[in-house]
Amino acid sequence: MTQSQQPKILILGTLSGGYAGADSTGQSHLEYPPNTYILPVMSPVMFPPEFYIRSFERGIDGIIVMYSGTDSPYKVEAEGTAKLINSAYALMKERGIDIRRLRLAAICTVCVKPFLKEVNQMNDLLKGIGFVKDELIARASAMEAAHG
Amino acid sequence: MSDKKEPRIGVYVCHCGGNISGAVQCELVAKALKGLPNVTVTRTDESMCSDAGQSLIEQDIKELGIDRVVIGACAPMLHEQTFRGAVTRAGLNPFLYHHVGLREQDSWVHEHNKDAATEKALRLMSAGIAKARLLEPLDPIRLGAEKHALVIGGGVAGLRAALDIARQGLRVTLLEKSPFLGGRMAQLESVFPTEEDARKLLQDLIQKVVAHPNVTIFTQAEVTGVSGYVGNFEIQVQQHSRGVSDDNADTLMSACRQEVPNPFNYGLTKRKVIYRPYEGCYPSTPAVDWESYNGEPISFDGKQIILKDEPKSFGLNVGAVVVATGFDPYTPSQGEYGFGELPQVVTLPQLIRHLALSKDGKSLQWNGRAVRDVALIHCVGSRQVDGVHQPQEDGQVNNYCSRVCCTASLHATLELHKRYPQLNIYDLHQDIRTYGHGHEEYYRHALESGVRFVRYNGEEVPEVSAAPQGDSHPVLLKVKDMLTYGEELEIPVDLVVLAVGFMPRDLHGLDKMLKISRGNDRFLLEVHPKLRPVETAVNGVILAGTAQGPMNIQESLSAASAAAAKVASLLGRGKVELPPFVAAVDEEKCDGTGACVEACQYEDAIALQEFEENGRKVRRAVITPANCSGCGACVAVCPNNAINVQGWTLEQYEAMVDAIGMDMHELEVAA
Repeated sequence: MTQSQQPKILILGTLSGGYAGADSTGQSHLEYPPNTYILPVMSPVMFPPEFYIRSFERGIDGIIVMYSGTDSPYKVEAEGTAKLINSAYALMKERGIDIRRLRLAAICTVCVKPFLKEVNQMNDLLKGIGFVKDELIARASAMEAAHG
Repeated sequence: MSDKKEPRIGVYVCHCGGNISGAVQCELVAKALKGLPNVTVTRTDESMCSDAGQSLIEQDIKELGIDRVVIGACAPMLHEQTFRGAVTRAGLNPFLYHHVGLREQDSWVHEHNKDAATEKALRLMSAGIAKARLLEPLDPIRLGAEKHALVIGGGVAGLRAALDIARQGLRVTLLEKSPFLGGRMAQLESVFPTEEDARKLLQDLIQKVVAHPNVTIFTQAEVTGVSGYVGNFEIQVQQHSRGVSDDNADTLMSACRQEVPNPFNYGLTKRKVIYRPYEGCYPSTPAVDWESYNGEPISFDGKQIILKDEPKSFGLNVGAVVVATGFDPYTPSQGEYGFGELPQVVTLPQLIRHLALSKDGKSLQWNGRAVRDVALIHCVGSRQVDGVHQPQEDGQVNNYCSRVCCTASLHATLELHKRYPQLNIYDLHQDIRTYGHGHEEYYRHALESGVRFVRYNGEEVPEVSAAPQGDSHPVLLKVKDMLTYGEELEIPVDLVVLAVGFMPRDLHGLDKMLKISRGNDRFLLEVHPKLRPVETAVNGVILAGTAQGPMNIQESLSAASAAAAKVASLLGRGKVELPPFVAAVDEEKCDGTGACVEACQYEDAIALQEFEENGRKVRRAVITPANCSGCGACVAVCPNNAINVQGWTLEQYEAMVDAIGMDMHELEVAA
């Protein structure tokens, strides 16, 4: 099975948290599933809930937002990001997307074990629940059936 | 039709001397990427960061008209600046370059799955290219800067920072809240690990600061207002009166009758409300303790004088602010290890002052009684456990290690042993953390000197109680010793010393005024301990010393010098250059909803302004770049997507996500 046939995990890692934590994991040469794609972010508080929905619709099967939690250098990051993710959960429910596909995790620059734990947990989950497109198709079919 | 030129992207995949190419098939990646839209050239190289590798990029920019650069290499943290330099040298805007981490986040973590590592590299590079298509040239934010720094706090960290900044040719204003310089270090007699005279070291430093022509000192002075931004902060200061002058100070001090517990000696002695804390203090003129003075008239020259505080306010214009506000020793709660209930329970700072005050005598005296057995308990107020210790005001326990107290306790232990060799000393600890250079020697010497070490479990802390009537000692300690597999010990002692930890200070709103954050431990928060030490998230506000966490004097001095170096590099040229990653408003899309203003937590970073356009009034958000942190809280809430963080736009993220989510055959077809 090539990676294209694996569910894809997007990690939004803050420069002062998750992204640097992923670098630390790499420096330790600790392996984790390769279907993970990490994008650096200043702060995840910039992403509106619709961004997550759009990502799922474009083929991302799981998203982990790795931020610095309450140790963030940005004042509004912890509370603001949690609120936005909660709003995203509501939209996911509306669209029939399993909300476990989106996780918010506090990861520090040297949090190697927590980083691996989050990635492996999400990977295991996706192995169980499969691709997001199947949920979206099922939802669309259900809607179609409901509207005759 | 848009006249925007199609980007010409140069893509470079680094082998990193086999570190990347050991897992990623770089040639295959480069070949596949060559077919993507706007990619003009793709190349691989053994080492892109080498002079030859950088020249390759520069040459392509000049000869092939490359106007966007994407490099897949090691972590951006290591070589992003290197490649920005190369791009700039070739005449391209440095922000038209994007770095993709292929080593730490790909080849090093998928070493045993080369196909997967290669496919991942392909997707990550495609995402980088997708972002590069949307990059716009950016200019750093350039601001004029006052070559003048404010240092808040006249303890050892503030003094060191002030001196180092002054020596760089910048003006420094040093504010100290109390009437005297020196801070906590003035309360020590000797310092570990050099055993030098603390007061002498401090006085040498104070003399150098006072003598430096670039330094202006205000004691009894506090910040009351802050506005502006890096390079140009406007600071409001209030300074209290000294209350006495050199001419009348000593007479008034003698005549003054009001006495209060002396905080310099942690309440062990009393002092008058007109006071000098110690001999040789700076300034040498006494001061009035306005918080304690009860307004009682004092006889002077046949008259009754009532002292009056007449504070004066003034403003300062500074380019940067160093916060060196220090710490407070933890004060145990009433009854914690018998503190406040048993007079034989004291803190380590109190013991240090007690030893300083009782230089003579063959035996240690406490409350008029000879001490034969003394016990020190470590980790009081540090490494606290939920459910075991009483939480602090915010409901949390202090779960951090205060780092300094282990060596400080052993230092005091050896001082006790040296002065009173007959004394029996018990040291009750969770662990001994003598982490500094030369600190472990104190532990070894203490062992050799016969100090008895008992190791307790943090969840079963020692019990301190009054000994039963008629016992030979006033206090009874009960502790389970983990060194003897949980043996329950009862130790009768005459004195218990609590090695208290560091507490973050109440800054009376200073942190709010400066808009700086506190961490979970409530100490001031630096952006990142490794990537941006001593910097706060507010440009131009720098931390020094124990305001940001427990440190010994040596570490405080290092942090202070780091803060000074940061200030000097920031203000040395009289102008500051900041990264352009701040919010920017798309005027065409903004219709002035104000959602961004509401979401922003940074004062004066964003505001709604009215403009007149074609005869009608319109409202739009306007950014003050110097005050914007670039967090993007405004981006998420804008209903029109009219605001973005430059260099990190939502559209760029969407493009990257699309590239990652794309079917593999699309790339293969492109190849």
